Amino acid sequence: MTKAQQRPLVQEFRLLATPVVLFLLVFLGFPAIVNLIYSVSDVSFETLRQPELSGFKNFVAVWSDSAFWQASWFSFRFGLLTAVLECGLGLFLAIFLSPLIERRSWLMAILMLPLMVAPALVGLMYRLVLHEFVGPVPYYLWTYFGASLSFLGPGSSFWTLVVVETLQWTPFALLLFYMAYQAIPSEIAEASAMDGAKSHHRLWYIELPLMLPTIVVALLIRFIDGFRVFDNVYVLTGSGPGGSTASLSIYIYEAFFKQGAIGKAVAASVILFVVSFAVLYGLNFIASRRKGAIR
Amino acid sequence: MTLATMKRGALLVASIASLLASPALAEVTVLGWPGGPEEVALRAAADAYNAKSDVADKDKVELLFFNRDGFWDKLQADLAAGSKAFDLNLLATYSIGRYAPFMEPVELSDEAKVVYGDSVLSTMQYEGKQYGVPTDLSLHFMYFRKDLVDALMKDDTAKARYAEISEKHLGKKLEPKAPDEWTWDDYAATALYFTQAVNPDSPTRYGTVLQLKNLLFNIMIWQSVPRAYGANWMDDSGKITVNSEAYRKGLEIYKLLYDNGATPRDSLSYEFAEANAAFASGQVAAMLQWNAAAGDLTSKEKSPAVAEVTDTVAPPAGPEGRFTHIHGLGFGLNKNAENKEGAALFLKWLSSKEAALIYARNNGAPALTPEVVAEVADARPDLVKLGEFAGKYGYVMNGGTSAKALSVYELQAKEFTGYWSGQQSIDDALANTEKGMAELLK
Repeated sequence: MTKAQQRPLVQEFRLLATPVVLFLLVFLGFPAIVNLIYSVSDVSFETLRQPELSGFKNFVAVWSDSAFWQASWFSFRFGLLTAVLECGLGLFLAIFLSPLIERRSWLMAILMLPLMVAPALVGLMYRLVLHEFVGPVPYYLWTYFGASLSFLGPGSSFWTLVVVETLQWTPFALLLFYMAYQAIPSEIAEASAMDGAKSHHRLWYIELPLMLPTIVVALLIRFIDGFRVFDNVYVLTGSGPGGSTASLSIYIYEAFFKQGAIGKAVAASVILFVVSFAVLYGLNFIASRRKGAIR
Repeated sequence: MTLATMKRGALLVASIASLLASPALAEVTVLGWPGGPEEVALRAAADAYNAKSDVADKDKVELLFFNRDGFWDKLQADLAAGSKAFDLNLLATYSIGRYAPFMEPVELSDEAKVVYGDSVLSTMQYEGKQYGVPTDLSLHFMYFRKDLVDALMKDDTAKARYAEISEKHLGKKLEPKAPDEWTWDDYAATALYFTQAVNPDSPTRYGTVLQLKNLLFNIMIWQSVPRAYGANWMDDSGKITVNSEAYRKGLEIYKLLYDNGATPRDSLSYEFAEANAAFASGQVAAMLQWNAAAGDLTSKEKSPAVAEVTDTVAPPAGPEGRFTHIHGLGFGLNKNAENKEGAALFLKWLSSKEAALIYARNNGAPALTPEVVAEVADARPDLVKLGEFAGKYGYVMNGGTSAKALSVYELQAKEFTGYWSGQQSIDDALANTEKGMAELLK
């Protein structure tokens, strides 16, 4: 195609892209610029429209705040653990239940139910379920064992939160893995069977490698979701005794609204954005190199 | 398009715009506290006001509610953004300083002093100016099981066991007393005695239930303990005084109870609702709780296991006396109100005796003077106790209405729950709190 032929097409693309670009500039660009300004300003609710530039004071305050590092560690641990547990369990269920779901597809709808509940409601639900005096779980533990675990005590609240998150989001991983498992051509399985491969060999050497891209994507999505967790944790334990269950999202929310430290909260969110961008860029870079190597 | 068509179009647009805009200009919009007795009371007061013949149509009151969760944060954002969506908004003692820059002082009716008294009116004052009408007052009652306490006081064997437990855990032999005579040590000894982990013969699983969630309202409940030992946020010169023996004693009493299992292990995630559920189960002997719980805990329908055996007194005493934290909820004037005149008229009426009695008869919790509360005492006996305790034992910490008061409570909640859960020492908790408060209140 000559340049003269391309010109009308380029103009058409520009015209079609303009609304999207304008939308992004207004709804993402503007808040991003305001955030950057606030992160290097002395600003409060009274001075939202007249922030005073204060250099990198807010970044220093965040960097030297032990609560920020505590929240970062919580988010990292929580994100990693829940991602691994959800994907491990989801993968197992997808393969194990696959023959059953193939014959009874309505089972998938039931398995997906936890995804339909808002995370804040899940938190609220478990506040009731685990309450020593009204919850069914402690009730049966007291009835049959004469004692109950302290589900939300200082030593166990982290693990309770991990279990609650895993129970809600494993169906998401299950859905992805089931689709990926179903997409494996049946001829491959038949051919390997003809060659005498046992089922666990088929799983390990054929099916899992074919599902690997889906597994990586699921791990990444679930890690990001777990890392930025807010709703169910906030409803269930708040930021926890001494801030022990404060995720980075909770840290930013509390700095902004509870302490009125707007500059500090925004500086923390900018740090989070930069780190997330670097990690995603790095992963993308590694993925594209691997792709190149395979070619 | 002809000029006439354009004119007709413009006229139509202007008419629609004026139709949409006029209701907002004509009414007084009040942003209230949703989903509780305060909403019921406010609705009744608004209906009574709107029914008055001398209230012009443009000054009729319309109510607006949004969710309780994050209410104060959303209000903060709305006020800071110069919202005109409401003319009057809810206000609390601990947040007056935070919202005062976006509000205007108000003028109350001539009857206000007679109806509420100076101390209650002061819960809505900031820097000497009145910012609101104190419609509801919150303070704390010591809820206790009178059947259990009566039985303890009649039984010599139980008394001996009580003395043994108090000596072991508190270092002194104590005798059971009537709750109205309790010191904080008596409360602790009673709580330990009624704990099965300490006393396997206890009829209840726990002696008390503490609300230890990292939440500012839980610190308001707890701080009456150190206050009874002379604690305050700061002295008259503005020096922060939390790193003191009084605060240490208050923290240690709660730690002692938590560590000995006198309160559920999950108490570190408990707030108002969880504590009420624990007490209502019949497995708890005594609890320090907001007065707002009295209705539910003494209702046979809502708390059948304990309603008939639950009684209330003011919180226990310490060497410096007996204290209960008080704070008021009320209504103040938005600086950006569109109908300021109408809003001022409603506020003036709301602070009158007529309005206070309507509010009281419809589930509200105004702290009224003895002369006024006598008129509703038959229907609302709990208000008599509320007014009495507020007058005798009510206090607000120095700095408790400042712009950063909420942040101070948040800081204390984080540091003190860190100590109670064993994540940091008492020295660190107090030092961190002192440092943080000095920064916030400078």
